[in-house]
Amino acid sequence: MEQNETIVQMKGITKVYPNGIAANQEVDFSVRRGEIHALMGENGAGKSTLMKMLFGLEQPTEGEIIINGEKVQLTSPTVAIAHGIGMVHQHFMLVPSLTVAENIVLGMVPKKSGMLIDYKKALEITKEYSEKFNLAVNPDAKVMDIPVGMKQKVEILKALIRGAKILILDEPTAVLTTQETTELFKELIHLKEQGYTIIFISHKLNEIKQITDRLTIMRGGKTMGVFETASITEQEISRLMVGRDVVLDVEKDAPHPTDVVLRVQGLRYTNEWNKRMLDGISFAVRKGEILGVAGVEGNGQRELVDMLFGLNTPDEGAASVDGEDIVGKPQYRIRRLGVSLVPEDRMTYGIAEGASIEENVISDRFTEKRFNHGPLFNMKAIHAESDRLISDYTVLCKSRRQKVKMLSGGNIQKVVVAREFSSDPTLIIADQPTRGIDVGATEFIRKKLVDLSRAGAAVLLVSADLNEVMELSDSLIVLYGGKIAAYFEDTSELDDVVMGEYMLGLKRQSDEEIGRVCHEG
Amino acid sequence: MKGKRMLMFELVRGAAAIALALAVGTIFIFLSSDEPLNALRYLLIGPLVSLKNGVASFNTQGLYTILAAMIPTIFTGLAVCVMFSSNQFNLAGEGIVMVGGFVAALCGIYVHMNTGWHAVFCVLVAAIVGGIIMLIPALLKVKLGASEMVTSLMLNYICMYVVLHFLNYNFADRSKGSTQTYAFDATAKIPSLVSGGSKLTWGFVVALVFVVIVGLFMYRTRWGYAIRMIGINQAFSKYSGMKVGGTIVLSQVIGGVLSGMGGGIEVLGRYSTFLWKELPGYGWTGITIAILAKNNPLLVPLAAFFIAYLNKGCQLMATYCDVPSEMIDIIQAAIFLFFAAEQFLSGYRQKIVVKNTRADLAKESAGLEGGAK
Amino acid sequence: MWGQLLDTIFKAEFLFSVIRITAPILFAALGALIAEKAGVINIGLEGIMMISALFGVLFSYWTQSWLIGVVGALIVGVLLGLLMGFFSLKLKTDIILAGIAVNMMGSGGTIFLLYMFTGMRGNTGALVSPNILIPTVNIPLIQDIPIVGEILSGHSVLTYVAFLAVYLIWVLLYKTPLGLNIRAVGENPNAASSVGVSVLKMKYIAIAISGALAGLGGAFMSMYYSQGWNSGMVAGRGFIALAAEAMGRCEPVGTMLSSLLFGLAQALRTKVSGLQGVSSYLVSVIPYVVTILGLVIYAASTLKKVKKHRAKKAQLEVQK
Repeated sequence: MEQNETIVQMKGITKVYPNGIAANQEVDFSVRRGEIHALMGENGAGKSTLMKMLFGLEQPTEGEIIINGEKVQLTSPTVAIAHGIGMVHQHFMLVPSLTVAENIVLGMVPKKSGMLIDYKKALEITKEYSEKFNLAVNPDAKVMDIPVGMKQKVEILKALIRGAKILILDEPTAVLTTQETTELFKELIHLKEQGYTIIFISHKLNEIKQITDRLTIMRGGKTMGVFETASITEQEISRLMVGRDVVLDVEKDAPHPTDVVLRVQGLRYTNEWNKRMLDGISFAVRKGEILGVAGVEGNGQRELVDMLFGLNTPDEGAASVDGEDIVGKPQYRIRRLGVSLVPEDRMTYGIAEGASIEENVISDRFTEKRFNHGPLFNMKAIHAESDRLISDYTVLCKSRRQKVKMLSGGNIQKVVVAREFSSDPTLIIADQPTRGIDVGATEFIRKKLVDLSRAGAAVLLVSADLNEVMELSDSLIVLYGGKIAAYFEDTSELDDVVMGEYMLGLKRQSDEEIGRVCHEG
Repeated sequence: MKGKRMLMFELVRGAAAIALALAVGTIFIFLSSDEPLNALRYLLIGPLVSLKNGVASFNTQGLYTILAAMIPTIFTGLAVCVMFSSNQFNLAGEGIVMVGGFVAALCGIYVHMNTGWHAVFCVLVAAIVGGIIMLIPALLKVKLGASEMVTSLMLNYICMYVVLHFLNYNFADRSKGSTQTYAFDATAKIPSLVSGGSKLTWGFVVALVFVVIVGLFMYRTRWGYAIRMIGINQAFSKYSGMKVGGTIVLSQVIGGVLSGMGGGIEVLGRYSTFLWKELPGYGWTGITIAILAKNNPLLVPLAAFFIAYLNKGCQLMATYCDVPSEMIDIIQAAIFLFFAAEQFLSGYRQKIVVKNTRADLAKESAGLEGGAK
Repeated sequence: MWGQLLDTIFKAEFLFSVIRITAPILFAALGALIAEKAGVINIGLEGIMMISALFGVLFSYWTQSWLIGVVGALIVGVLLGLLMGFFSLKLKTDIILAGIAVNMMGSGGTIFLLYMFTGMRGNTGALVSPNILIPTVNIPLIQDIPIVGEILSGHSVLTYVAFLAVYLIWVLLYKTPLGLNIRAVGENPNAASSVGVSVLKMKYIAIAISGALAGLGGAFMSMYYSQGWNSGMVAGRGFIALAAEAMGRCEPVGTMLSSLLFGLAQALRTKVSGLQGVSSYLVSVIPYVVTILGLVIYAASTLKKVKKHRAKKAQLEVQK
């Protein structure tokens, strides 16, 4: 076996999306046969996009892909599979009521007597491959009844059975418990010994160190280098992964925080796949300050925001705004306490795209007295309000009657923000507020956030954008593994290296230091 | 500018759909009739134009009968507009119209008042009963997630049989040949609007009044707004603080009230006793009307007129030519299919329009940023 | 009265009629089942039954062969299913509206078509003669078993086909590659397309089979049950079938059992309407009320399961 032969080579890959965002810029990526190669980077670094192109789900704007020395055009997953590439996605592509064996042979079902499924053969094939690759599965069990770890093995078997020699695993341990992760690693090493090549997308330093041979680091759509795993330290990886090429300059006055507005105590939550996503979170946000929540995605941020806005309930713990309990309460109650949310999924929760700008912008206040004359709307007041908001928030549109779906991404977010910021909120929760939108809108929204904070609102800013969370926040906490790993009261002193270490779990502050964020007494 | 173009496009698309549906009908006419052109004449212009000795004249009585036919369908059309606006496929209008008519008739027979308020009272009772019955599929959907489509379809039959039971066993006038109730008091009848046998009553005026009321309700009140937003994006509405469950129930109860009212007004206006032996079919027509009106209450009279006109045309065809009146069902079905087809004639043209708009806005905003910097 | 009633129910003749009455509902319910498995809601079953019923009679009259009549009805059903599929999958008409459209075509359009083809109005009285009706079959051996023989033997060919179809559909869905694909497409279209299964193709096939089954149901009505076509004959069986399928928990056997329940209700209603002092109308209400109750129980039990799961999880958390 030629150990050093390059099996996959991606040269000069550039990917620019129609909205102008460059996800990959001149990326070079190559993998040797029979190695376990990690592709590392923060969210948004471009690693998922790169692998999507390797699996034929997307096409590069520029650059070429060479498999086994042969230049190829991977126009669809079918073509990629034909070249021996298999991908295990983060969200499983399995049919719940079908058995493991049925899922594995779907699309290539063995037949008997012409018309019927040869289920025995399917079971045999499954058992055969399962034993060959040491991926223990229960062939006859329904997928909806098996644990997550086994579901993943089924996905891997699906790829192997279709002739994959190169396996791409997209954040495979994101859904696994520690136990299941150990098992997975054993299996991956076994596969490697049999000559398979594995590309392992991840941002978890300890795991990478455990089983990979080499690693490639990406940041901001570019490659930062290829390294032998054994000869690079975790600190060095962290420094390359987490860092900013340009530091954002945000003008803001010093904060003068006063009373606590949001108090979170001991939130705990285990999701439906038995993974503990929140493991005892306690903190407080005060009037007049912007508290950032930093961390690589998947460490509990999503769940935390859901809990605070009544979209999910924790198993344990409490949260209150101005002393009033908000856990498990309906949204209208929470809003009445003065809480606003700029949601991450703006198209599902933030707007009704088939409705007009005006209709969107009054959705949280249309029952108020000033907009109603008895049973009817006070249209004059409503029009005045929407016009004012459109102008104050510089929403670029034809008129207030225009349907929101016609607007550009940045302007859609401005509509969301126009509504959420203008309700005179006591607490603003902003979740990825400037993701995927143009520079102008981004600057505008960030400035508004600062203005509101200095005027007395409490702001909880959850952002995967390092610049945003470090420069915009006055103080910040870092989430890792469902716990708070650090609390920094003054972000202006922070540097990227330190941030990286906490975000990737290399360091953790003492409970005392973290406890200061609760501002008790 | 572009917005107007979109509107024009939608109108053209709708007109094309209707034209295509009529074309389908025409094909069938040609296939089945010995005098297709004559039949077409009756269908297309017959309802309003009568020919006597080669002279065409406007048929006012014809107009009145069409308007009279619109009375129940405006109500059911409005009902469906409200219910479909909250994205609930509730089809129980059929059954509730029948119950409404029956209840109104009973009030007209057994409750005695000696003023014109009698009719108002009867219709009011019918409306309230209609609303209460609609609670069943509404609550089952909101509390238990049970399909409102199946429950409402079942409800139609339950309503029909219950009414027929009471009609036959408890309230039938045994002296009459066919099954019917006793006559209702004169004070309960809804008075005619015009002379002649067109059955155009003040119910028509009431229907138009309700068009305005429902239109105002849907577009100028907080409840109508909530109903529409929930229909467009339920998650968004919940997140914005709206009470989704209650509003969904409200939309269906209103549908019940309107359907019941329509049934009551029709029975008290057109007849002198209650004599329906099966579901009268206004509920299904209401759905067609709501589709044509795109759930906009203000367009309901237009759509109702169109359907009533076609219906009359089909009836004329049946009377004077050899084409069965059931042609109306074929045309209605075709209208349904083509009109509600989102992709019909859209193809890529719509996408281009959207792309243009987005590109324009991006250019403009980029220009703005560049200027500001 | 109750004595009279009980007397009739426990006669073999009654159970025979239950089976007979269930058959068309069963056909349509199986049609609803297979469409739903592919993720398509077919509420046009009523209309398809009406139209196929008409064509069944017409074809058999023109060819003087009942077999061709049945086959013709089946083909018409398939075509109607494909029509619904075309409008909903290609032109994006809401599938429910497409179903309502087919029902409209079924109710009035059939009267029109009848006239167009034969010049007759309302029903096909004169067209139908015994030799073009679906024949009945007396099963040798079984027919001699007392009671059981009376119940099971002597049904029409299509009756047996209906119950056989339960088994065939079960085999199709759970034992053939096509059925596997259909179920995959209905549950997780992304998973299906990721392994190369065409989601559109499967939906078209499912809705075509659905139409075929409804077509057979229609043929059953006009060519055996009512011995001729008339405009009021299907009387909502297509809708009852929807309910039966919903109550049958989306499984062939469950669908069969709930169809039998409705058949029983209808047979009861016929018997009871003959008795003194009982309103046939109130009895007619029973199947519809039963459906709603069935749906309520089903929905409530699903909710309970979710609540139980959450409670269990919370308990585990506390123990930790």
